[in-house]
Amino acid sequence: MSASTGKFTMATAALALAASTAWTGAFAQDEGPIKVGILHSLSGTMAISETTLKDVMLMLIEQQNEKGGVLGRQLEPVVVDIASDWPLAAEKARELIEVEEVDAVFGCWTSVCRKSVLPVFEELNSLLFYPVQYEGEESQRNVFYTGASPNQQAIPAVDYLMNEVGIERWVLAGTDYVYPQTTNKILEQYLKDAGVAEDDIMINYTPFGHTDWQTIVSDIKAFGSSGKPTAVVSTINGDANVPFYRELGNQGIDAVDIPVVAFSVGEEELAGLDTAPLVGHLAAWNYFMSVDTPENAEFIEAWTAFIGDEERVTNDPMEAHYIGFNMWVEAVEKAESTDPDAVIENIVGVEVPNLTGGTAVMLANHHITKPVLIGEIQDDGQFDVVWETDDLVEGDAWSNFLPESAPLEADWTDPIMCGNYNTETETCGSGS
Amino acid sequence: MAASLDPGHRLRPLPNCPSGTSLMIRTFAARWLACLALGLLFSLNGAYAQEAPIDPAGPVADLVRQLPDGSYRDRGAVIGELAATGDSALVPLLRTLEAGELFLLTETGAIVTIEPEGDEVVATDVLTGEAIGTFGEDAVEEIRVNNLIRREVRAAVSQLTLMSDSPSVRIAAAREMFNGANADSIPMLDEALAQEDNETVRAVMEEVRAVAVLRSDAGPDETAAAVDTIIERGGRQALGILQASLGSASADVAPAIEAGIARIERNLALWGVGQNIWYGLSLGSVLLLAAIGLAITFGVMGVINMAHGEMVMLGAYTTYVVQEIIRNAAPGLFDYSLAFALPLAFLVTALVGIAIERGVIRFLYGRPLETLLATWGLSLIIQQAVRTIFGASNREVGNPSWMSGAFEVGGLAITNNRLWIIVFSLVVFAVLVFVMKKTALGLHMRAVTQNRRMASSMGIRTPWVDAMTFGLGSGVAGLAGVALSQISNVSPNLGQGYIIDSFMVVVFGGVGNLWGTLVGAFTLGVFNKLLEPHTGAVLAKVLVLVAIILFIQKRPRGLFALKGRAVEA
Amino acid sequence: MISQALLRGLNGKAMWVVALLVAAAILVPASNLLLPAGHPLRVPNYLVPLMGKYLCYAMLALALDLVWGYCGILSLGHGAFFALGGYAMGMYLMRQIGDRGVYGNPDLPDFMVFLNWDALPWYWQGFDMFWFAMLMVMVVPGLLAFVFGWFAFRSRVTGVYLSIITQAMTYALLLAFFRNDMGFGGNNGLTDFKDILGASVQAGGTRAALFAASALMLAAAFVVCSAIVNSKLGKLMIAVRDAESRTRFLGFRPEYVKLFAFVVSAVIAGIAGALYVPQVGIINPGEFAPANSIEVVIWAAVGGRGSLIGPIIGAILVNVMKSYFTVAYPNLWLFALGGMFVFVTLFMPKGIVGFLSGRRWPGRPARTTTDAGLDTAKPSPAE
Repeated sequence: MSASTGKFTMATAALALAASTAWTGAFAQDEGPIKVGILHSLSGTMAISETTLKDVMLMLIEQQNEKGGVLGRQLEPVVVDIASDWPLAAEKARELIEVEEVDAVFGCWTSVCRKSVLPVFEELNSLLFYPVQYEGEESQRNVFYTGASPNQQAIPAVDYLMNEVGIERWVLAGTDYVYPQTTNKILEQYLKDAGVAEDDIMINYTPFGHTDWQTIVSDIKAFGSSGKPTAVVSTINGDANVPFYRELGNQGIDAVDIPVVAFSVGEEELAGLDTAPLVGHLAAWNYFMSVDTPENAEFIEAWTAFIGDEERVTNDPMEAHYIGFNMWVEAVEKAESTDPDAVIENIVGVEVPNLTGGTAVMLANHHITKPVLIGEIQDDGQFDVVWETDDLVEGDAWSNFLPESAPLEADWTDPIMCGNYNTETETCGSGS
Repeated sequence: MAASLDPGHRLRPLPNCPSGTSLMIRTFAARWLACLALGLLFSLNGAYAQEAPIDPAGPVADLVRQLPDGSYRDRGAVIGELAATGDSALVPLLRTLEAGELFLLTETGAIVTIEPEGDEVVATDVLTGEAIGTFGEDAVEEIRVNNLIRREVRAAVSQLTLMSDSPSVRIAAAREMFNGANADSIPMLDEALAQEDNETVRAVMEEVRAVAVLRSDAGPDETAAAVDTIIERGGRQALGILQASLGSASADVAPAIEAGIARIERNLALWGVGQNIWYGLSLGSVLLLAAIGLAITFGVMGVINMAHGEMVMLGAYTTYVVQEIIRNAAPGLFDYSLAFALPLAFLVTALVGIAIERGVIRFLYGRPLETLLATWGLSLIIQQAVRTIFGASNREVGNPSWMSGAFEVGGLAITNNRLWIIVFSLVVFAVLVFVMKKTALGLHMRAVTQNRRMASSMGIRTPWVDAMTFGLGSGVAGLAGVALSQISNVSPNLGQGYIIDSFMVVVFGGVGNLWGTLVGAFTLGVFNKLLEPHTGAVLAKVLVLVAIILFIQKRPRGLFALKGRAVEA
Repeated sequence: MISQALLRGLNGKAMWVVALLVAAAILVPASNLLLPAGHPLRVPNYLVPLMGKYLCYAMLALALDLVWGYCGILSLGHGAFFALGGYAMGMYLMRQIGDRGVYGNPDLPDFMVFLNWDALPWYWQGFDMFWFAMLMVMVVPGLLAFVFGWFAFRSRVTGVYLSIITQAMTYALLLAFFRNDMGFGGNNGLTDFKDILGASVQAGGTRAALFAASALMLAAAFVVCSAIVNSKLGKLMIAVRDAESRTRFLGFRPEYVKLFAFVVSAVIAGIAGALYVPQVGIINPGEFAPANSIEVVIWAAVGGRGSLIGPIIGAILVNVMKSYFTVAYPNLWLFALGGMFVFVTLFMPKGIVGFLSGRRWPGRPARTTTDAGLDTAKPSPAE
């Protein structure tokens, strides 16, 4: 009896504790540390990709603190787990801003996560740095898109395949969600404009976490056996890639016959794969771990030391966080304040070095400039850069290859101050 | 360290491959590739070793010097021109190029291979085969290759090796030419055919020649004969070639081509059905593996074991750990890694299963729905524990060499790993049926599940049997994990992906019946794969689920319902 | 007659619950809106939608308990009804955006515009009208439950078979809603809402009103459930739960009893989903995930099934803990949550409410024979 009463007391205590902590708001601080929110999934399906980003943010904050912090104040990371649950992401974003009173948030991976938290950032006027390549078609005052938009990844990759590999037949394979759907819409239009016939484009969508690729890979093989050089443009999402590449390897599709160019496969994903059968397949990114620059060498060294594992790799979204974080620091120093409005005003035009030897500039549409690199998979899980753009490419919020978005522009500077400015009607959105 | 192309050196055994001290990952990888490619070259193309090197002043050498210039397309064209020279001494050079081992000495414009020496490199001119001297690493520039260059190199090499001494090289060369053959290839093919004495090679060459003829402006009789040859060969490539030629075909041969296309398509469609059934069986074997442990813990014991997927995951992680140890300690044993992993995975997951049974489940017998809650909690804990220990990202589990690759049976492409998994699933199933039906343990298990008190009265140690049964079910899940690690991600979420499908299979087959699980798994697999080409992957899965729901209405206790009193328990 | 039945539902304990919820519906918004910021008694802004969300979950758990705790139908697919209600509300909210979407298209939601839809699909028609959307919030889940239940219960699909096919149902819907071709926004779902009934969803007043609506709807659902379980029909439901065959042999038609409970439960779940969506600001197919439905079962079990208060307490408790742990111990919270499920099943088989009432009235007979432990060694009840 007494034992179970004890347990009961414990349970009640836990409940009371939980309730009281959740209910007590934090007190406002002016001169304490500057808080930075980290909003990534540490459990659930997206933990695979996002856990690393949490760690890289912790490292960047630690490094900044060693340099003396920002505005003479230390930075304090606030980590939350959104558990791959998107309504929970919105709740946590609200909590970070209202309760923890963070000054900026670095987070999200999926589009749905961004879409889910976006109204919260708008309402509470805070800052979100979003580090992943995405479908575009968005520009919001409170969000900074440090990953690639389609014109910084997909279109250059297709250009490369068309001009430098001589591809004439295209398979657009993706996971059925908004990023592949939009990217493939854009690419389809782009290819047709370039004179590719309808018959030479095959579009295929699969569910999340698809594991049985036998049918689709054999379809691709059949599609590619027509005699024309064929390539697969893959927007297949993280988890489904391993079985996809395994099936490609097993069915004997070799990169010389049908190269696959992927937009979501980086060093991190390859670390879970035996890459020997994949050598020669491609990926398009704005950063590769193998890029040989002093900045990158320093970053990799700091990262492996921070994580305590010599084998850990770096990847493109990590670079995006690196750039985003440095831009925020720069903007805060420039504004001499962490106030979101001041940061938003000062961040446009901020230039910070990226890890590939160039500079990233925050544009008026809250996207950044990036180089585009095409890499071939090597058997050690790294990429060998075979092609890169001559200049930095400016991130385009609204694609010119979608009829409805072609006339739209985003510009968060005076006098336009609008995320969806219609250049035809010269109004912001529909006037609201 | 890179192989020199000096003829005097070419007959040496395979040069030592680099041992990974280089900091530059890229070059390191490239070197391995070079080693591989050259190894292949040495084993196959001994014949070229005797031929004279390329004349450094001749037109061929001029072309070689153009290799580093211009876009990939321009350089691809240069390779085409090189192939047209028919100089088979170029083959090693092209192979080296393909491997990314060819460098440009920026100072003199010489094309060289390099061998590192301390911080510097020793360059060897590929044309003369002579060492030029020692240079700084910056003095040489890799001649970049991409898939276009590789494609051109392959085509060129196939043309240049068409008259090799080795029949296997000749046949490979002819096959490689099949797609790219055109009117220009005819003289070359005729020459090769004239001296060909091997019937198999000859047949392939004739097919290639037919393609070339079809694409040339040969007379109607010759074209008609070529069309027949191509139709006879069949397959997707032939279909593509015929379809492409239809546009430019003369009225005389067009009907024959059309008939040929129809015939090949019919043939392909027929094989396609067979292929889909094969895919379905393969999917079914995966479902069977995933579900069969559950058929014991859920089907036989009545525990709604939501942690079943995590047992599968633990099995996969055991494979990972075993492979890591083997990679570090005894790389030579890698092909046997699964043989070590299987018993270990069984042991690990069976022990975890027994611990779960003793620690939690035994308090919950007779309350099946509550086992759902407890095991769900356990599954969260196990997942997070694995995530904490191994990290959230995917882990690399390799295929042993005997599980890689594919072979063809008629028009069916059969991949080795899928074949092994089907075999493995059936073996596991057979063993399990044997254990249940023919051993004392199996007898006790059935007795306890059918009537616990009676069994207990007969002197069976029911708690021990419970633990063993749950351990067996979990252990089998661990075995499944080993197999699934070969085709899928090894991540903490692995189990979640299979748990729902596993329950569907067990329920569809009929709870408590192992044969039901077998038939259920293969039925669902084949059904799914037959639908997929028509509906797409997502809808196929939705339709399968709807079909299960409807089927359960018709047979509320699954495919093979247990009869009698046990049903009501 | 219905009012009589409802009054009967308002017996002693129910009165307390209803009073508490009504009080919350008044006090929380009042404190949030009227007290100045920084006042110690003021409910902070972020808590209002958060608590509203908990109440929606509580309503879902209550709905599940009506079929599971009282009728013995373990539905592992109740999240589907919740999500369908949510989607109906989401569609209304999307239509309210009007031409304020990023492309300024007056009819089509943004995701349809950039995926080149020409016109609004037929099943989106009518959702610009609030009354129609609210009707659909109840009709769609209700209809699905009716069709599904009609077939399943008549075919006498019971026990785990039923649980697994409900799971199949929600899984199939999950996959279907993930498809962008379905016209429900695919994985991104419906989001970026602007107005509800002309009021901005982001305004404090709207939030407070939504919270109040959630509390009142939960109270109403509680009264309805209470009325049902205290009626003769309720007794029949318990009879079906405890011995379905016996009930059938006595001349009752268990399938209709079950069907009734299932449909009512689905409608309540749909309403919960509809209230949930404007408060969290997004509805996406993730809500159909089988894991979510299992979680609902766990809330009910933790709180105590077979009592109407139990699931409400369970849902709120588990979610408060989840909110707290995901911030306080982001790396460890799954251990705590998983551990709690194991703990509750082992040591509080009737949940918190059963545990508490068991303390106070030790002589009270066990509510369900299916809860009999191994040691009591009773013969298992039929079905």
